[in-house]
Amino acid sequence: MTRLLVARDVKRDYHMGGGGGLVHAVRGVSLDVDDGDYLAVVGPSGCGKSTLLNLIGGIDRPSSGSIEISGERVDTMRDADATRFRLLRVGFVFQRFYLMPALTALENVELPLAEAKVARKERVARARELLAYVGLAARLDHRPTQLSGGEQQRVAIARALANRPRLLLADEPTGELDAHTGAEMISLLGQVNGDGTTIVVVTHDEDLARAAKRVVHMRDGVVVDDRRQDGS
Amino acid sequence: MLFRLVWASLVRHRARTLLAVLGVAVSAAMLLDMVMLSSGMRASFKNLLLSRGFQIRLSPKGTLPFDTDATIGDAAEISARLRTIPDVITVSPVLGGQVYASAGGRTATAVALGVDPAVEGDYEIVTGRSPSTANEFVASDDFFHATGARLGDSVSVAAGFDPQLRAVTGQRTLTLVGRAHFIYMPAGQNSVALPLPTLQAMRGESAHDRVSLFMVRASSNDRVDKVLADIERTVPRVTAVSIETAMQQVDERLSYFRQLAVILGAVSLGVGFLLVTTLVTVSVNERLGEIIVMRAIGVARERVVLQVLLESSAIMLVGALAGLGLGLVTARYLNSILASFPGLPAAIDFFLFEPRDAWVALGLLAVAGVLAGIYPSWRGASLPIAVTLREEAVA
Amino acid sequence: MTAALFALLFIQAIDSTPPRPAPRSIAVDERLAADAGLELGDRVVVASAPGGAGDTVIVAAITRGRADPSEVARADYRVRMHLDELQRLTGYGDRVDRFAVGTTSASATDSALRAINSAAFGFRAHRSRDIAVETSRTFLVVSRFHRAIGVITIVASAIFLLCIMLLKVDERRRDIAALRLLGISKRSIIRSVMIEATLVAVLGSAMGVALGWLASSIINWHYRGVYRTPLAFAVVTPGIVELAVALSLVLGLGAGLAAGRRLVRQPPLDLLTGRHESRRTARAAA
Repeated sequence: MTRLLVARDVKRDYHMGGGGGLVHAVRGVSLDVDDGDYLAVVGPSGCGKSTLLNLIGGIDRPSSGSIEISGERVDTMRDADATRFRLLRVGFVFQRFYLMPALTALENVELPLAEAKVARKERVARARELLAYVGLAARLDHRPTQLSGGEQQRVAIARALANRPRLLLADEPTGELDAHTGAEMISLLGQVNGDGTTIVVVTHDEDLARAAKRVVHMRDGVVVDDRRQDGS
Repeated sequence: MLFRLVWASLVRHRARTLLAVLGVAVSAAMLLDMVMLSSGMRASFKNLLLSRGFQIRLSPKGTLPFDTDATIGDAAEISARLRTIPDVITVSPVLGGQVYASAGGRTATAVALGVDPAVEGDYEIVTGRSPSTANEFVASDDFFHATGARLGDSVSVAAGFDPQLRAVTGQRTLTLVGRAHFIYMPAGQNSVALPLPTLQAMRGESAHDRVSLFMVRASSNDRVDKVLADIERTVPRVTAVSIETAMQQVDERLSYFRQLAVILGAVSLGVGFLLVTTLVTVSVNERLGEIIVMRAIGVARERVVLQVLLESSAIMLVGALAGLGLGLVTARYLNSILASFPGLPAAIDFFLFEPRDAWVALGLLAVAGVLAGIYPSWRGASLPIAVTLREEAVA
Repeated sequence: MTAALFALLFIQAIDSTPPRPAPRSIAVDERLAADAGLELGDRVVVASAPGGAGDTVIVAAITRGRADPSEVARADYRVRMHLDELQRLTGYGDRVDRFAVGTTSASATDSALRAINSAAFGFRAHRSRDIAVETSRTFLVVSRFHRAIGVITIVASAIFLLCIMLLKVDERRRDIAALRLLGISKRSIIRSVMIEATLVAVLGSAMGVALGWLASSIINWHYRGVYRTPLAFAVVTPGIVELAVALSLVLGLGAGLAAGRRLVRQPPLDLLTGRHESRRTARAAA
């Protein structure tokens, strides 16, 4: 199996304002993720799991250590390259969906395609296809306020998959959803992974963690446990 | 997609955007007015001076035309000398004075111009004709109203009043042969024009062979400098004023308005700029979450900058376009106020609209619009993504 | 009673060799003195025509021009000299342009006017006040123009103020929502918004008055320099201060009230989560 992500001794320190001193959010994490894997990062609040996800996705930079995705160093990229990397190589799903309220579901999915300069006809077709994939074929022209939480998160997943990234990063994707909708989301993420997209998900949701192939436990900024769900 | 997002953020707070556009419109109107004021009166004055094609005025040494009561002596000789200068096409001597006119029992005071009727340098005939004999004259509309005289009437005209004898002096009976528009006279001014020798004779010894100014027409505009030099050499006792020199003098006299225009124009621009900066900054602050998510999913920093700049420019441009219309209306009102300046020729417009003015105002506002978006767009584009996402989640 | 005659003169500075004993004295205005480098005691020739024969006189005084708005944009120099000398120089003979007559009281002015006019020597007596009104027409036009510009400026400022106050209250929506959730009444919230708006308006007005005073000082300094006049071009009067403060209070309170009432009408939870805004955005975009 191809190695997709290689993180070595990644550390991230924050200077807290107001005399808060230095906070060591991530204290030397090394992690390998294979192509097609489905990894859940779990741990108590403040253990550094969301910070790790941000570092992997190139929206934050490590204080030291290295992160490689498909052989590309994410930690040393220039800002413009990191932006391009986030647009084309990874997809982000957030706990609070963060859809553009003024745009319809279709337009929200079109947004990263437009940024990637995909022709209008092609991007509309791709956005329709993705919304159908997440089960929202009938809700194309609805705006976020006209959609339920679960539907909004589906649109967010469709948006994350728009440019066919090999890696999907999800931060508490079921955090704002009820149990039933959460279960649907877990099923959808399983389907996305089954179709070949590697997923790294940060979660407190035990059901979601159980659905992953591999679970990494973090505490105080370090990985304390890393095991495959099949018992390996 | 970019324009869709720009439009969405503009209509998100309609009342706010509308107020901003209104504010910019008023500022733009003021700016346009000030641009018009700064260049309009100059252009209008130039048009006025050139309206009869005379590029040069000669006045008593050290004075401006009709600025003092001083006159030029030996007018006939100077006139003859001027006509000998190459490239001088026309010479129009003018003597100013005050006359008392009585017709049908009504008396009026009028400004009189002694002119060469063949030239018609100071007036345009509206009805009737120019004087062709020594005892004919033309008058302004206001004179007709004031005296009740009609074309063809005989009018008793006197050039002065002797306090010792308690009698008018230099009295003549003249025939009113034309109704004229006096180009350089203020609105509401009773004006008459009669042959120069007639007025000189009426005014007596003090005006014998004297004139207030000469107007000189050169064969072409590019010969004016040469003619000026020739005049200064040939007639050293007079001051020869070209249109450009006259404009400089006017600039000096009206510099207050030009400076006021610059100050108020700058203030208007500043107010519009501040208004748009404030609104767009607040608007960006309100949607930091959206902006940061766009950045997180791979939307380029430049795209965010462009979006915010487009928002500020859109407010500025829509406001500016509305302001241009408003500016033309307010300019007319302001012009009507300044037109009542005592002694100012009625044809002078302080606010003269030229398309260039609109472009200047639009250009300045467009630049201000872009500048107004620089701070908020920089703020939106330079946010650290991870930290802002966490802060937004906490909020 | 004083008599005055005005004429155009030509002045030429000469070296200090006295051409004849005891020359007459003149007073020149400070602009002429500065521009021509004249000092007290200098001798100059005054003539009624350029290059013509004139009189040598001595500069006995340097005067400062009155703050006359009608002369502000004119760069003419002023010289005061003995009447008989000017009459001789200009060939006017025993003539003057006008007499100024001083009287002992207002009623004496009336009777003097009547007496002079009934004598009908061919000239008319006018009250100084009436002449001042006539000669200040230029100034009145400028005043009207300034007032019109002021109205436009007030409209622009009003819109600006309204916008800022709306933004200010809008910015407080989360605090207002929290207060509502704590059970604070709508009335109390509106009152607190109004008090804040009043404070902002009062503080803003005070700063505005200070800024206005500073701006007027700069304007006066600038124009006094440009026109070399002691005239005041901009004055912050109590009336202007009252108008500015009243306007900012009315607009500030009005905007505060309107925005406050709009916010307390929204469900507090919607305000807290920003849902009211999302709905508004969606409606607007639709």
